[in-house]
Amino acid sequence: MPDRRLSRWLAWARDHEQARRAPFLARSPLFAGLPRRLLGRLATRFLEKAYSAGEVVFHEGDPGRALFVVVEGTVEITQATPRGEYLVRTLGAGDAFGELALIDESRRSGSARVGAPARLLILYKTDFDALIDGEARIAVVVMRNLSRVLATYARRNPVALTEPGPRPEADEPP
Amino acid sequence: MKASWLVPIAGVAALVWLARGLVLPVFLAMAFAYLLSPVVAWADALALRRSVAVGVLFAVIIAVLLAAGLLLGPRMLTEASALVDRLPALARQIDTGLEGALRELVEAAPVFRRVLPADGGWAHRWVLDRAPGDPSDLFEHAGHLFLLAILVPFFAFFLLRDLPRIVTAAMDRLPPQHVETSVAVWRELNGVIGRYIRGLVLDGLVVGVLAALGLWALRVPYPLLLGAFAGVANVVPFIGPLLSAAAAGLVVLLTPGQGLAGVARVAVLFLAIKVLDDTIIQPFTIGRSVHLHPALLLGSVVVGNHALGVLGMIVAVPVATVLQETVRLLLEHRRVLARRSVRPDAGRLGG
Repeated sequence: MPDRRLSRWLAWARDHEQARRAPFLARSPLFAGLPRRLLGRLATRFLEKAYSAGEVVFHEGDPGRALFVVVEGTVEITQATPRGEYLVRTLGAGDAFGELALIDESRRSGSARVGAPARLLILYKTDFDALIDGEARIAVVVMRNLSRVLATYARRNPVALTEPGPRPEADEPP
Repeated sequence: MKASWLVPIAGVAALVWLARGLVLPVFLAMAFAYLLSPVVAWADALALRRSVAVGVLFAVIIAVLLAAGLLLGPRMLTEASALVDRLPALARQIDTGLEGALRELVEAAPVFRRVLPADGGWAHRWVLDRAPGDPSDLFEHAGHLFLLAILVPFFAFFLLRDLPRIVTAAMDRLPPQHVETSVAVWRELNGVIGRYIRGLVLDGLVVGVLAALGLWALRVPYPLLLGAFAGVANVVPFIGPLLSAAAAGLVVLLTPGQGLAGVARVAVLFLAIKVLDDTIIQPFTIGRSVHLHPALLLGSVVVGNHALGVLGMIVAVPVATVLQETVRLLLEHRRVLARRSVRPDAGRLGG
């Protein structure tokens, strides 16, 4: 009887919102490999915001200051080309975008617009930096995952890395 | 700025003006919340409900304060009551010494007779006549302190418990195109202020303990009281350490058998603590969170004193830091934008 009461109290004392975030972030390729304890600490640094369909999260050319993770809904990443707006990809729950903001405040290479009403988790570079000051392992794991993302991008777009300039024809819409 | 924003801003300004009596408790509660926020963040990481985490934290703080009160309280009360009992005698002692010195000065240089006031008993008037003559004044002071002691933890509790909900609600109402930049500036300021307040309290604690131990080793009376004063006064830059050293020096001067050699020992002790504080303690506690130019630092303290007295001197540095950091961040972001516009392809990969 006391065991049941204790487990009921423990269930009540649990913050379900925070408890949901850590396993959710673990599914994102950017945070894969982080132990549960560090995922818990990382999860506390995220802010959450609801977006309506059609709202712009950021514009191409804006300074990037935060990483975004889609909790629900969809987000479209587009790029402006001489021939008009080009849809690069559509992101769903668990996908992250704006990763390079964790490295520096580069300008955004594309715009992000909400497709279906979405909730996004937002991690600011300042908070990430403050966290990795005390937990170097988070930096190692996230930067390793980020390198993989960049390597994948570089293999797909080798010219973009060696010759800064207009986007190669291969990436443009047919 | 859109006209629709002016109404809520004017509303908030009017509310702040109407509730200006609550500014001090809210400010202190915010400082207290900043102090405790790392512990609450640690509980967040364990996915513990905020109300439980903050409740347990406050229970622990009350227990620690009770224990500290039981351990140190009687000693501090004894020191305080001994000091209060000795105040009339001390004031007379200071006045006699001062009047003697001034008499000698006037005899040596009669020109000072016109400048100096004829009546004596300055210390007596300054120390003893300042005590509230009317009992209702005493009750008013005690009432204010009691109200602060209740309101500060009360506001801090709810700030710590509800801040994530408040932030989420505020973010949901922010126009999406402003979220990234405005919240980025707020997060950076939040980090700077948090580190500064936590560092300041830790710094004051270390300085207070060092001063108390040093004064106890030098056999200066009231080491606990003077150490506590040194720790609290340390919050006020420049003036605080000078005040605490002067208070300890005065106590030594009025203690039979200590004399000028005792004052010199106390001066060396406070100088050593100040050097230690500037070179070792502050870099570890406050660290790189605040880079106020010394002139700006002193200027902000003077302005704070003029505006709000002692409280103004305490809040001057955080307020000046926030202003400086805001300007720095805005200029830095402008510089980043200007640099990027020179190299339009920089950050081509940035997602």
